[in-house]
Amino acid sequence: MNFKDLQKLLKANEGVTNISTLRENVIKFDLDKSISKEFFKKLKEEYYFEHCSLITAIDNQPDFELVYHLSCLSGELSVGNTKMAAMVEVHIHLTRDSPSIDSVSDLWFGANWHEREAFDLMGIYFIGHPDLRRVLLPEGFAGHPLRKDYVYEIHEEEW
Amino acid sequence: MAEMWISMGPQHPMTHGLWTLKVKVDGETIVDADPELGYLHRSVEKMGERRKYFMNTTLTDRLCYASSTTWTHSYVVAVEELMEVEVPTRAQYIRTVMLELQRLASHLMWAGAYMPDLGHITGALYFWRDRELFLNLLELPSGSRLLYNYIRIGGVKRDLPDGFQEKTERILTLFEQRLDEYADLFENSKIFRMRTEDVGKFTGSQAMNLGITGPNLRGCGVKHDLRRDDTYEIYEEIDWDICTREAGPGYSDCFSRYMVRIDEMRESVKIIRECFKKMPKGPTMSSRVPVRASGEAFRRTEDSRGEALMYLVGDGSDRPYRWKIKSPMFTTISACPYYLKGYKLADIPAIMGSIDICIGETDK
Repeated sequence: MNFKDLQKLLKANEGVTNISTLRENVIKFDLDKSISKEFFKKLKEEYYFEHCSLITAIDNQPDFELVYHLSCLSGELSVGNTKMAAMVEVHIHLTRDSPSIDSVSDLWFGANWHEREAFDLMGIYFIGHPDLRRVLLPEGFAGHPLRKDYVYEIHEEEW
Repeated sequence: MAEMWISMGPQHPMTHGLWTLKVKVDGETIVDADPELGYLHRSVEKMGERRKYFMNTTLTDRLCYASSTTWTHSYVVAVEELMEVEVPTRAQYIRTVMLELQRLASHLMWAGAYMPDLGHITGALYFWRDRELFLNLLELPSGSRLLYNYIRIGGVKRDLPDGFQEKTERILTLFEQRLDEYADLFENSKIFRMRTEDVGKFTGSQAMNLGITGPNLRGCGVKHDLRRDDTYEIYEEIDWDICTREAGPGYSDCFSRYMVRIDEMRESVKIIRECFKKMPKGPTMSSRVPVRASGEAFRRTEDSRGEALMYLVGDGSDRPYRWKIKSPMFTTISACPYYLKGYKLADIPAIMGSIDICIGETDK
């Protein structure tokens, strides 16, 4: 499959908005939260995105945003005549009062710890995750430090 | 026999840093594993949000003590993408030389740490003797031996010193002879091969799903290297090959992962030589480097251990609003139950050593 065809296919999908090309090999789009799981399954099984590079949680105050970076490593998706590896950047909007979304760790095992990290540091709940514990901070830690409203107990020095 | 949990770490010779591997064993056979991280968590991402863009290069240097240039570089290219900075060609060549020197130092550090894991102390002394040569080279332009802070937003700190090329050439020639020596010492050693062959196997398609990238993925025969697949700096203009090895059809074992790194060292030597041949004269720092940035950008680079990704969101101020670091080892360690299951307890150092763990970047 060619990468340009992917853009056309994405346009035909409902729930996919704001499609843009970031670089020659990267497409960025917004995805509706309600259809995220089935769409990710489609991306993995039909569009060859077999690797989940990164899941980022952003506190946009007041709401949250999740950014998924998915890449194709096997070269099944060709970017023109180049050898470049194709990638998509998926943005999903979450409201502050219900920061939860379906887990994708059963699709990509590599997403498992990224989701645990997003839960640990940003407090996003991944429904259906097999083992949603804190990963970097100790058990029993209060709060989610990467949230913008997290208050430090220590004195903050201005640099 | 009754199953039981054994806790290896946080203080254990196998761990290469501070982390805990809990393994469930049935007699000597591993049936489950549970890795635990966080002992070295410094919250680099949060610290970065409170510092200006150019200040963060000191933090990225400290992400990985074995490969600090590649991490700083990864951050710097992401900031340059965000701020739309053009880097002079000479600076790009210098960066490539430094990245490859760092890759050599990092792979040698790994090889030197892997040998004592297998009970081969001599290997550590030999590989670390050679790493010393490359640290000396890295010290010449940057002034330090471990955390260089040499690659800056918009270029590099200063030009290469006089005589750098000749010194590098001399060391590379010596190093190539040494690599041939090591082939006799390790690759042809029956004991080394008995410890590493047919241990810790996973297939290429499994690895992609588990999130394993870099040399560990290339050890399965998958031709994927971000230096070519998402090219940056001047790797496109240079003639080099992606090194792959296979233990069998489509899968890797500890030995194939070892061999990929040895091959990559030879390739790095080739890249550095080519860079010196083509390096133009000119400025080493961009004349326009903004302080503030808005919008979002990300860049992937090939770290010594796999795919490094930096994602930055700017809100128009001089500090990043959100800075996310993707560490290749974070996901590779998370997948360790998959490639440990079924092997013996005594194979753990051989398997975990072969994937090249660095806890500094993993814990962030």
